[in-house]
Amino acid sequence: MSNSYSDSIPLNASSQSDIDEIENLINASVQSGPATVLPARPLSPPRASIPVSTSPFIQSNIPPPPPLSSSSSNQKVPYVPDAPTPPPPVGNSSSILATGFGPTPNTLTEPVWDTVKRDLSRIVSNLKLVVFPNPFREDPGKALRDWDLWGPFFFVVFLGLMLSWSASVKKSEVFAVAFALLAAGAVILTLNVLLLGGHIIFFQSLSLLGYCLFPLDIGALICMLKDNVLVKLIVVCVTLAWSLWAAYPFISSAVNLRRKALALYPVFLMYVSVGFLIIAID
Amino acid sequence: MDFSQPPGENYANPKTCFFHVLFKAAALAFYILSALFFNNFVVIFVVTVLLSALDFWVVKNVSGRILVGLRWWNEINDLGESVWRFECLDQESLARMNKKDSWLFWWTLYLSAVFWIVLGIFSLIRFQADFLLVVGVCLTLSIANIVGFTKCRKDAKKQIQQFASQTIASRVSSTIQSAFSVI
Repeated sequence: MSNSYSDSIPLNASSQSDIDEIENLINASVQSGPATVLPARPLSPPRASIPVSTSPFIQSNIPPPPPLSSSSSNQKVPYVPDAPTPPPPVGNSSSILATGFGPTPNTLTEPVWDTVKRDLSRIVSNLKLVVFPNPFREDPGKALRDWDLWGPFFFVVFLGLMLSWSASVKKSEVFAVAFALLAAGAVILTLNVLLLGGHIIFFQSLSLLGYCLFPLDIGALICMLKDNVLVKLIVVCVTLAWSLWAAYPFISSAVNLRRKALALYPVFLMYVSVGFLIIAID
Repeated sequence: MDFSQPPGENYANPKTCFFHVLFKAAALAFYILSALFFNNFVVIFVVTVLLSALDFWVVKNVSGRILVGLRWWNEINDLGESVWRFECLDQESLARMNKKDSWLFWWTLYLSAVFWIVLGIFSLIRFQADFLLVVGVCLTLSIANIVGFTKCRKDAKKQIQQFASQTIASRVSSTIQSAFSVI
């Protein structure tokens, strides 16, 4: 079996890569799991054959030839055809368009909508995983696998806006303080967990702490609408408890038992201070 | 700041180029002009950061792919480790990329980061910590894109060299093998 490239690639290289992506998408959907992890040398044995006349979607698990070459920065995990587990917004929209134009889509609008929809659905699913009861909470690593920072961004800005609108004076300082407190707080809390020897990924943890703000967002909204102190107190307590309940499994599973309190206490502190901000704003 | 009206020649993807520049320019313009005209920090912050975030998204997902054929993202694999992926087109397609497109892409990317740094220095000089926050966020987003795409490009060059050397080796071996098979 010959090892040469040229006579086994009848199509031009860029459409080859597009076809690769589509094939891998189909293969993966058939296999119903993360795609078989393929040995990731950029130069691997070429495909045995791709009959031009029949459907191009015949092939195989042979890793795609160099047309779409990739490398991971730490050389650990081989190139996983990215179509099946949709990476953050990039991959699928181009593989959805089987235009043979190469990995870039035809029009500007089509992929943008697809990508936006996918992003939005990812935000919603992440929110559901983190904040609402569901079977995945026991395995935190899996729950927030597709972390994204858009959700946290929206929630933090929303909370800042709520606080700012509720404030009668110094609106801009309130907003700036709220935003800076939440952003810096999330970063510091993550560093805290990492420094305690915890196993958590930086962005995953940032994402988590941002999503756990969702109950407090709701609390802030209600407090903005109803100005009664007692109502505010109750609402904030309930939503605070909810936030803490949401954040607890992820943080506690990341550090070992003796240091759990050390990791959890600052999180508790931050959310409580945000709760106080909500109550005290007038 | 007239990037979207270049002199003369042809861009292969004018719409993409336009959007690539649009949000960057809008964020910078809004920040600069609004600070002159009205004094509501919250609105400035939210609009500027929103435009910057949109720009980040557009560059990362759309114009990076279309204008220069590069993309990068982060995955968490089954072992729970975070892996950064950088991808590029093959050399043939890369060579076919429009030069003007990629020139625009890279230059606006770098220039916008430089502008944000300059604006940051201004706000430092004026002791306006609030605005420093805005500038900080926008700068972070620009730098993230720059780093991501630059890493893509470096990997691309490395792979192209590898590919070239190995292709030569494989061609040589294939001709030798075909020679032997004839015998």
